[in-house]
Amino acid sequence: MAVCIAVIAKENYPLYIRSIPTENELKFHYTVHTSLDVVEEKISAVGKALVDQRELYLGLLYPTEDYKVYGYVTNSKVKFVIVVDSSNTALRDNEIRSMFRKLHNSYTDVMCNPFYNPGDPIQSKAFDNMVSAMMVQVC
Amino acid sequence: MSVPDYMQCADDHQTLLVVVQPVGIVPEDQFFRIYKRIASVSQISIRDSQRVLFIRYRHHYPPENNDWGDFQTHRKVVGLIAVTECVSAKEWPQTSDRFHDHKEVYGSTLYDSRLLVYGLQGEVAEQARTDVAFYPSYDECEDVERRVEDFIESLFIVLESKRLDRATDKSGDKIPLLCIPFEKKDFVGLDTDSRHYKKRCQGRMRKHVGDLCLQAGMLQDALVHYHMAVELLRSVNDFLWLGAALEGLCSASVIYHYPGGTAGKSAARKPSISVPADAGKRHRPGAQELLIDPGALTTNGISADTSSEIGRAKNCLSPEDIIEKYKEAISYSLYKNAGVIELEACVKAVRVLAIQKRAMEASEFLQNAVYINLGQLSEEEKIQRYSILSELYHLIGFQRKSAFFKRVAAMQCVAPTIPEPGWRACYKLLLETLPGYSLSLDPQHFSQGTHKGWAAVQMRLLHELVYASRRMGNPGLSVRHLSFLLQTMLDFLSDQEKKEVTQSLENYTSKCPGSMEVITLSDGLKLLPVAFTKLPIVRSVKLLNLPVTLRPRKVKSLLGQSMAVKSPFIYSPITVHHRGDERSKKIDFQWVQGDVCEVQLMVYNPMPFELRVENMGLLTSGVEFESLPAALSLPAESGLYPVTLVGVPRTAGSITVNGYHTSVFGVTSDCLLESLPGVKTSGCTVEVVPALPRLQLNTSLPRSAHMLLPASGEEVSTSVSVQLFNGETRQLMIRLENIGAEPLETLELTSKTVHTKEKLFGEFLSWSLEDTLSQFPLKPGQVATLTVNIKVKLDFSGQENLLQDLNDDGISVTGLPISSPLRQVLKPRVESKAGNPPESSKGGEYNPVKTLEAILNFKYSGGPGHTEGYYRDLSLGLHVDVEPSVFFTHVSTLPATSTRQCHLLLDVFNSTEHELAVSAKNNEDLVLHAGECQRMAIQVNKFDFEDLPEPQDDRGQFTSLKQLEEERQQARGYEINSKLDICWEIPSLKRQGEASVEGVLNQLVLEHLQLAPLQWDVLVNGQPCDCDIVAECEVGDLVPLEVKLTNRSKHAVGPFALTVIPFQDYQNGVHNYELQDVVTFVGSNTFYIDSVNPTENCVCDGTLLFLYTGDFYLNIKFHDDSSSRELPLDWFCLPSVHIKALEPALQTML
Repeated sequence: MAVCIAVIAKENYPLYIRSIPTENELKFHYTVHTSLDVVEEKISAVGKALVDQRELYLGLLYPTEDYKVYGYVTNSKVKFVIVVDSSNTALRDNEIRSMFRKLHNSYTDVMCNPFYNPGDPIQSKAFDNMVSAMMVQVC
Repeated sequence: MSVPDYMQCADDHQTLLVVVQPVGIVPEDQFFRIYKRIASVSQISIRDSQRVLFIRYRHHYPPENNDWGDFQTHRKVVGLIAVTECVSAKEWPQTSDRFHDHKEVYGSTLYDSRLLVYGLQGEVAEQARTDVAFYPSYDECEDVERRVEDFIESLFIVLESKRLDRATDKSGDKIPLLCIPFEKKDFVGLDTDSRHYKKRCQGRMRKHVGDLCLQAGMLQDALVHYHMAVELLRSVNDFLWLGAALEGLCSASVIYHYPGGTAGKSAARKPSISVPADAGKRHRPGAQELLIDPGALTTNGISADTSSEIGRAKNCLSPEDIIEKYKEAISYSLYKNAGVIELEACVKAVRVLAIQKRAMEASEFLQNAVYINLGQLSEEEKIQRYSILSELYHLIGFQRKSAFFKRVAAMQCVAPTIPEPGWRACYKLLLETLPGYSLSLDPQHFSQGTHKGWAAVQMRLLHELVYASRRMGNPGLSVRHLSFLLQTMLDFLSDQEKKEVTQSLENYTSKCPGSMEVITLSDGLKLLPVAFTKLPIVRSVKLLNLPVTLRPRKVKSLLGQSMAVKSPFIYSPITVHHRGDERSKKIDFQWVQGDVCEVQLMVYNPMPFELRVENMGLLTSGVEFESLPAALSLPAESGLYPVTLVGVPRTAGSITVNGYHTSVFGVTSDCLLESLPGVKTSGCTVEVVPALPRLQLNTSLPRSAHMLLPASGEEVSTSVSVQLFNGETRQLMIRLENIGAEPLETLELTSKTVHTKEKLFGEFLSWSLEDTLSQFPLKPGQVATLTVNIKVKLDFSGQENLLQDLNDDGISVTGLPISSPLRQVLKPRVESKAGNPPESSKGGEYNPVKTLEAILNFKYSGGPGHTEGYYRDLSLGLHVDVEPSVFFTHVSTLPATSTRQCHLLLDVFNSTEHELAVSAKNNEDLVLHAGECQRMAIQVNKFDFEDLPEPQDDRGQFTSLKQLEEERQQARGYEINSKLDICWEIPSLKRQGEASVEGVLNQLVLEHLQLAPLQWDVLVNGQPCDCDIVAECEVGDLVPLEVKLTNRSKHAVGPFALTVIPFQDYQNGVHNYELQDVVTFVGSNTFYIDSVNPTENCVCDGTLLFLYTGDFYLNIKFHDDSSSRELPLDWFCLPSVHIKALEPALQTML
C-alpha cells in the first residue's frame, strides 16, 4: 500500500529510503526531502505547545496530485515518512498510525543491535523485510 | 486576463497604477534612470487632508489586464508617463502623434497623462503645455520629481471626483452594472429591472466605491463599503464579485494591521523603488512583526476622521479573520477565467501569512496555487511562476520546497522546448538552491566527520551544476564542481558512477586542468578549491629517519644533555607522560641539510579501478625544501599501500610537513594534514642539522651476501666477506671516498668483533690510521685509502666432529690413539674424497668452516655539521670464513738430552685439499699431502713461565680461579707459539700463514715445557756442563766439580743429599759402575745442601781425579731417604755430566 517508506535521521539525512517503483526513485527522494519542511514546521509548532505529551504521529504532511505524504517523529527526532498513493482511499488514518507504530518498533530493534552505529544507513534485513511487507500488503 | 503579477501583495489594492513607457527610441539605460526617478515618487501626501496616496509604477502592463480595472481598480491604469527623445523640432509632431497612440492603448481608463521629452530645445520647447515637459538632456531634468508630483495630484483630483460621484450616486435612479470582460455575454437579455439585478448592480458598485476609497486613502470608508458590498453580493450569489469584495476587505484590513506592507524585503518590486524621504512615516521599524490591536490604535496617522473611529474595530477584520476571508474569497476557482485573480489572491494571502508566521496555512495556500491552471503558459511564464513559488516557500521558511521549485525553474530554463536554453540562468538558479539542499560548496564543511545531508538529491544537484556550467562554456567551473562531487560524495557513488564521474572529469581537465585557485563568479560567489583528500586516502604519515649510515649523531659533550632534566627526580611518571606528549609533535631524529629525506604515507585507493596519482610531493614549512614529486599508480581498491615521498632540505632549521600535493585526473590538490580526518601521524616537525659529508667505502674484497647476525645490535650498511685459511693474514684495502658536498675533516675507526663461541687467538684486525689521516681534510670527490690487516687464528684441533669424521671411514682405526703415526693410513680416504669435493664438503652435515664476523665503525664528520657537533657513523661488516689449514691433532713432549730443552712432538694434520708445507723455526720443511697427518718434532728450549707477567687483572677477585688459570694458560700458549713460529704454505695457491699450537697445549704438555723451579747447574772445571757438552780434563789432574742449586720456587727447599756416581757407557747397553780404580774422589762423593730459600742459591764443591783416560759419565743421584718426597720428581732432574779424560799434555810427558 505504501509506495515509499523513509527513515530520516535527526540531522535530516536519510537513514533508509525505499520505494516501490524503483526506476523513479529520485522523485521520491525529492518528495520526502521536501516533506521535511512540513515536518520541521510541525515539530516546532508542537514544541511550543506541549512538550510532554507529544503526539509522535504528525498526520498528513501534504497531499500531492498522486500521493499523500504522512509523517511521524520519534522523541529523538528521527523521522519516519510514508508516501501513499492518493488513489488508495480505503486507507484510514488508524491504519497509517499502525504502520508507523510497526515501523517505530522495527527501528527500535535496529537500534538495539550493538553492531549498528546510530547515524549509519540502516542495512538490517529484518527491517527491510518489514518494510517490504508494508509496501506489498494490500488493505 | 492571463498574465498574473506574482509580485502583487495586499497593499497594492490601495495604489494607483501608473504606466511609464518609452515612446520612440530611448536608450534603455537612460529610460530606466528616468524611470527610477519617477518611481521614487511612490507616495504623496495630499495637501489639505491627511490622506496619503500610493502609486505603483509599471513600465510594462498588458492592456487586457487593464480590462479588469472595473473589477479591482488597482488593476486599472490611471496614469501614463511617456518618456521620449526628440533631437530636432522636425521630429516633434511625429513624436507627439506617437504619444497619442500610446494613450489610446489605455485610453479608456486613463485619468491623465504626461510626456517627458528629452533633447529638444528651441521654440518648440518653449510652448507651455501641462501634459508635456521638455528637457534639454537626460542629465538636466531636476524637476522631474516635482512634475510627477503635480501629475499625481492631478490624478488624485480625478480619483476623488470619481469617488464622490459614485459614492453619492446611491439615490440615483439607475446604477450601471459593472462587469468583467468574460461576463458581458452572460448578461445579455437579462431583466434589468429585477430586484436581483439591481441588487447585483448595487453590490458591485459598492465594492467599486470601496476600491476607490481605498485608493484615495480613506481606509475606514473603504471598509464600510466593502462590508456592505459583501452583504449585498452574498445575497445575490454573485460569487466572483463577492470574492473580490472579500479580498478588498482583507486588503484593507491588512493595510490597517500591517502598515509596513506585506511585500517583504525579498519580494521587492521589480524596479527597486528607492525609499522615499518621508517613508519613515510608513515604515516603522518592527511594525511588521507586531500584531497591532486595532482598538488600541488611535493615533495612527492613516485617518484622522474621528467619525469613522467608532466603526473601526468593528469593520476591520482581525488577523485570523483575514485568513478566513481570504479562504472564502478564493472561490474564484469556480470561474475558470479568473485563475489569475485566484493565483494573485493566493500569493497575497501567503505574504500576509508569512508575516503572521503561520507557515502551515501558508503552505496550504501555496499548494492550492500550484494547482491553479492558467492554461497554456509560455516557458518564461513557467519559469517565473516556479521562481515565485520558490520565493514564497522561502518566505514561509520551507527551504526545501523553495529549493525544489527553484530547481524546477532552473530546469525549465533549459527545457528542450526552448530554442535557446538559458544555461547561465539555469546555473544561477541552481546555485541558489544550494542552501535548500544544505549543500555548501566549501569542501571544509565535509572534511570533518561523516557526511550530513541528503546525498541522493545533493548529488543530483551537483551533477546538474556540472552540466550547466559545462553548457555555459566554463569548463573550469565544471571541473571544480565535478571535483567537489567526487570529493564529497565519494561514499555515496556506486562503482559505475565513480567510473563515469572520473571519466568525465578527465575529459574536462584535458581542456582545463583543475587548480587550487579560488574561482570567483560574476555575482561574487567564491568557489573554494577542492582538494582530493580521498584520492587516494591517506591513513598515516610518517617521517622516516635517514638510513643508518647517514644519520647524524651528536657528539656527547662532557656535561651531557642529561643536565637538561628539570625535575629533581630521577623518574617520575608525570614527566614521562609529559614527554610523551611532546614527542607526538617533535620527532627524536634529525634530517641533514642537503641529504634526501623521506616521508612515508600509507595510502589506499578507494576507487574500483587503478588510480594514477601524478606529481605527488610534500608541502612543508620552516626551511627551504626541495620536494621531489613522485608518480604512482595504485591498484583498484588497494589495501594500505606505502608511498615514500622524498625531498631535500636546503637549509638547516626546523621543518614541518604540513601536507602533500597531488595531481589526480588532471586536478591538482593541496591536502593539508590538519584538515584530514583519521590520519595517524607520529609528528610532523623535525630538526634539520647542517650539512655533513658523506663517506663511501669501497673495499678490495667482494661484497658479502651474508648479513650479520641481528644480535650484533648495529645496523651495517655494507659488508664484505673473505675466505681465509686458519692462520692466514690478509690485507683489506678500504677506499674512502667523500661523495658528499662537504669536506671530510675527521675520521675515527673502531672495530668490534661480533661475539662468537670460537676462541680467537691473537689480534684479529689491526690498522694504522696515520697515513690516511694525513690526507685529510678530504674534499668532495677525493679518495683516501686505508689498510686493515685481517689475521685469523682459530683452534680447529678440538673438533670432535672432525675426529669423528676421521674415525668414521671404512678403515678401522679404532683403538688406535689419534696421535699415532699410523694415522697416515687415512691418506687413501682423503684421495677418494678429492674425487667429488663439492658434494662431500657441502653435502655433509658437518662443515668445518668457521665464521668470524666483525664490524668496522667509521666515525666521520666535517663541514658545518662538524662545527655544530654532529658526526656520522658508517659501519662496514666483515665476514670471514675460516677454513682449517693445518692443525695439530696431538701434542706430546719428549725430554731432550738437556734438561733445559725438550722435544715437542706435534701430529700435524693437513685438512686442506692442497699440498701443504709446514716449517718450524729451524726445522726442515715438512710436506703434507691433502688430508695427511704426520708427526713433527721440534726441539725447544724450556720456558720459564715465571718470567711472564701475570695477567693484569683488575677484576681478579670477581673471576673464578678457573678463568684465571685459563688466562694464564693462554698467555703461556702465546709465548710458546711465538717461540715456535710454525708456518705453513700452500704452494699451489701461493698462500701462507701461521699454525698455532696454542689451542692444543694441555696442562701436561705445559708442565713438560716448563723449566723446573729448582735449577741445577753442574760445572766441571768451572765450565757448565749439560747433556751434549763433553767436558775435557787430563788424567791426573784434579777436576773440580761444582753443583749449584738455584731455588726459583716460592718455598724454601731442602736439605738434600746428593751422591755422584761415575760410570762408563760401553754403548752396547752395558753400564760399568765398577770404577773405584779408575776414578777417585778427593773428599766426599756426597754433597749436602742445606735448605735454600726462594730466589737464593747454594753451591757445593767436590773434586774428582781421573786415573786413566776414557769417557766417563757422572750420575748425580739423590739419596732415597731424602725428605723432599712431596716435591715433584722432575724438579730433581740433574743433567748427566760427560767427561772425557785425556792423556796429559805431551810436553809435560816429554
